[in-house]
Parts: sequence; structure tokens; C-alpha cells
Amino acid sequence: MGILDQFNLTGQCAIITGAGTGLGREMALSLADSGCDIVGVGRRSGPIEEVGEIIKAKGRRYLGVTGCDVTVSANVNDMVAQAAAKMGRITVLINNAGLGGSGRGKTLPELTDEDWLSGIDSNLNAAFYCTRAIVPHMLEQGGGRIISVTSGWGFRAGRNNWMYPVAKGGVIQLTKAIAMTYARDNIRASCIAPGLFPKTEDAAVLTEMGPKQVAGRIGFPREMGPLAVFLASPASDYLSGATVLMDGGAIAAGLLPAGVVPHAEG
Amino acid sequence: MTLFDLTGTHSLVTGATGALGRALAVALAEAGATVSVTTVSTDRAEEVEANSILNECWAAGGKNGQQKTLDLTDPAAVEAAVAALEKDVAPIDILVNAGHAANIKPVLASSVAEWMRELNRNATTVFVASQAVGKRMVPRGKGRIINVVSDLHDRGIPNCAIFGASQGAILGFTKSLALEWGGGDPLVEDRVTVNAIGIGFIEGVPGPQADPAVAEVLGRYLPLRRLGSPKDVQGAVVFLAAPTTNYVNAEVVLIDGAIATHA
Repeated sequence: MGILDQFNLTGQCAIITGAGTGLGREMALSLADSGCDIVGVGRRSGPIEEVGEIIKAKGRRYLGVTGCDVTVSANVNDMVAQAAAKMGRITVLINNAGLGGSGRGKTLPELTDEDWLSGIDSNLNAAFYCTRAIVPHMLEQGGGRIISVTSGWGFRAGRNNWMYPVAKGGVIQLTKAIAMTYARDNIRASCIAPGLFPKTEDAAVLTEMGPKQVAGRIGFPREMGPLAVFLASPASDYLSGATVLMDGGAIAAGLLPAGVVPHAEG
Repeated sequence: MTLFDLTGTHSLVTGATGALGRALAVALAEAGATVSVTTVSTDRAEEVEANSILNECWAAGGKNGQQKTLDLTDPAAVEAAVAALEKDVAPIDILVNAGHAANIKPVLASSVAEWMRELNRNATTVFVASQAVGKRMVPRGKGRIINVVSDLHDRGIPNCAIFGASQGAILGFTKSLALEWGGGDPLVEDRVTVNAIGIGFIEGVPGPQADPAVAEVLGRYLPLRRLGSPKDVQGAVVFLAAPTTNYVNAEVVLIDGAIATHA
């Protein structure tokens, strides 16, 4: 088998939460391009149906699920059962859905229980519920891949930025726990940490925001596709528990503000 | 499979005549790249090995790749080889620094000469090759430099202090270089990227696992319960080399059987 065959996902099926828009949509399209059938989970039926039409036009099987609130475990359990019943073997889960949550910028005493829980629910609990629901199925099928979208915020912290970094850091640790627990059951777990990926390729926005980034440009959502395919495929069979940053070098550059370059005489 | 198609690109793999270098060179060729390789000695066995690697690359991909035998710590020799490869084969789009040597020895028994040798053969080679290739890549605004580092870049093992230092040197170089060369026009997608593949314990690669007793323990201790094979690293090099992965920069992709997860 040549190396490009190792990136082939023919015969596999991926559940992707938040598949209707943004990064989730692009990951779904790239996986489908690589041969994978898709279960697209999202809140709004319009985008979930629209991405489904594109995926079906590529010749893949598609199931759209819109009635599932991924922060409610009973909904998640139903969604996974429905996906397995309709699609058969599920081999990949991408925990992509997540929200900024309420309360960003509030001081610690101002934060309400609801603020805290909204961030933890949508970013961490949702990934936990989906993982817990799919693992028995994957064990039955002889293995699988669980890919979770974290963030550069999973590594760093900011003033009065509480729930999101804590939840995204939790996703990284959840991934390590999955990797350790199921390493011998052929389940691989990994994280993707995206940098700044606005949902636009508008030239005015790119020109305004690009120079403020370490890479001189923002990320394009479609750039997430190849990373998702790599992590979902046999090409990454010896990778587990790890996070791959897709941030144009932003975390590595965190010691100085972007654009500040020290100069020294030779 | 267009996402990872390297057709029309020219890859240079330095230190290609180890088990890992061969696997990476062949993977790049299978993905469509023309592959050139460097070897470090004129030793007959190594020359035979290099020719065999080139033959395998020719069978899989582009047929114009060449072999250069040179001292990778000699800037003049490397500059001449890179200039010749760019002229005779094609501009170098992808540089993979795959050389990997491990001096496993207690610090109290080691000399400064051994320290310098380890730093030179593992890290100075990366600096010299990156400089010679990078000065051509940077004006072109696109390219890939991919350095192989051991997980010892940020973990420790007794008797591996000098080896570990050489790996940390490569990684520190990788991250700052990535930022030095990683900028560009906000409307242009292509970039020069500099990344590393962090390898765990891979069969046939110099490192602590060359000790059979250590390898036996690792076979049980590793989360995936097996040492890696050079083939396990092939996907990562093709992923990082692909024209679609411009936004991965200054990153270490760990291909380590999850050892860093519990270590």
C-alpha cells in the first residue's frame, strides 16, 4: 500500500458535530473527498442539509442530524444510536461543536454559575458525552479515531478569560485519557488546535487582519481539512494522545507581540 | 487524493541512509515528489544504500533525483550541492533533515569533543542545510523544512543527556526559524514553513531502544505496546510536505505511540 492510500478513508464513516458551518463543514467536505461517509450534526437544518447535498454529490452516504443538543447527554446517546443504526459502522468521531459561551471578559466575582456552565457544557461536556456514547460502538467494531477540536486557548490563558481556556484545556486532557485507556483497543485520540479562522475570505478583512497575525495572514477554514483527514486515517496510526496546532506559528510566537522583531548587531 | 499530492515538487532528504531516512524519502516519492538524497560518507556500503534508496524513489515517483555525498557540517560543500541540485534537477521545495545519531553515554564519561560531535552531526547539519536551502526558498515565498527530533527534545533518559541536548537544539532552532521565515502577504496562501516530527522509539533508528533490554521493556511500557516502525512516520512527513498545510508552522507532530501522553 503506497503512502497516499494510507490517507484514503473509503469505507469509513465519521460523526462530526457542528458540521454545518465553519471548520466542521470544511472537515466534513475533506473527509468526504477522501472517501468517508459522514454523519453531520448541527443545530440548524439549513446548513446541515446544504453540506449534506454536497457530500452526497461526491458519492458518499450522508446522514444529517439536527435535533441533537450535544450538551444534553440523552440527546447525544440518541444521536449516536441513530447514526450507528442508519450508517452501520462508525469509525471516526470529530468533536468539533463548541461555543464561546457567555461571560467572557467578566471579572471572577461577576461570573455566574450559568456563565461558567455554558462554556464548560458546550466545549468540554459535549466532547465527553459524544466520546462516552461512541466508545462502546468503536470497541465492538475493533477500533476508531476520536478527534477533538481544542484551541490555542487550551494551552495559554488570558485575563478574565475563564471558561473557554479551562474547557479547551480539559479537552486536551480528555484526549490523553482516551488515548491511554484505549491504546490497546485500536482507538486513537488526538486534538486539533486551530488558530484564528474567521469564516470569510473577504479581501478587505484578510488585508486588515492578516498583518496582525504571526503568519501574516489568517487561516482559511478549508485548511483544517487535510489535518482532519491525516488524523482520521491510517497515515497517523502511531499518533495518539497528541495535539496538532494549526495556527501559523501563533503559540510558538507567544513570547512577543506579533510584529516585534529584536535586532542585534552581528 | 489531491490533498497530499506532491507531484511536480522536488524533495531533498539529508542523512537519508538510515532506516528512517529511507522510509521518509520513499514516502515523498510515493506521494509524487522527485527525491534527492544526501549521504555523509564515501563509504561503499553507504553508497550502495543510497543508490538503493534512489532506485526505490525512482520506481515510486519522479525519476530525476540525485545523490550527493558531502559533509553536512561544511557550509561550502552543502551550498555547492544545493546549487547543483537546483540547477540540474529542480528548485528544492521540501527539505527533510532526517539524519539521526545517538551517543548513549554517561555525562561523567563524556568529553567535550563528544558533546561537540553530537551537536554537530545532529544539529549543526540542520542549521547548515536549512540555511543553504532556505536562502532560496524564502525569496520564492514557499517551501517546507521538516526536521526529525526525538521525544528527548523535552523529556529525559539517563545516559541520553548529550543526545537529548542535540534534539532540543534542533527544536529550538525549528521554532524560531519558523517565525523568522513564516510571514508573507495576507492575500497569498503559500508560505515557507518549518516544522518538526517528534519521534518516539522507532525500530532501526539510533536511540535508547537500540539496547535490546530497553526495547523489550518498551514493548510492554508503550501505550500502543509496540515500538514504531519507520513506516509509521511516513504519513507525518507527507502531511507536513503537502501544499495544503501552509498554516501548520513551528509545530511538532508527535509520532510516538502516545509515549508523551503518559510520560
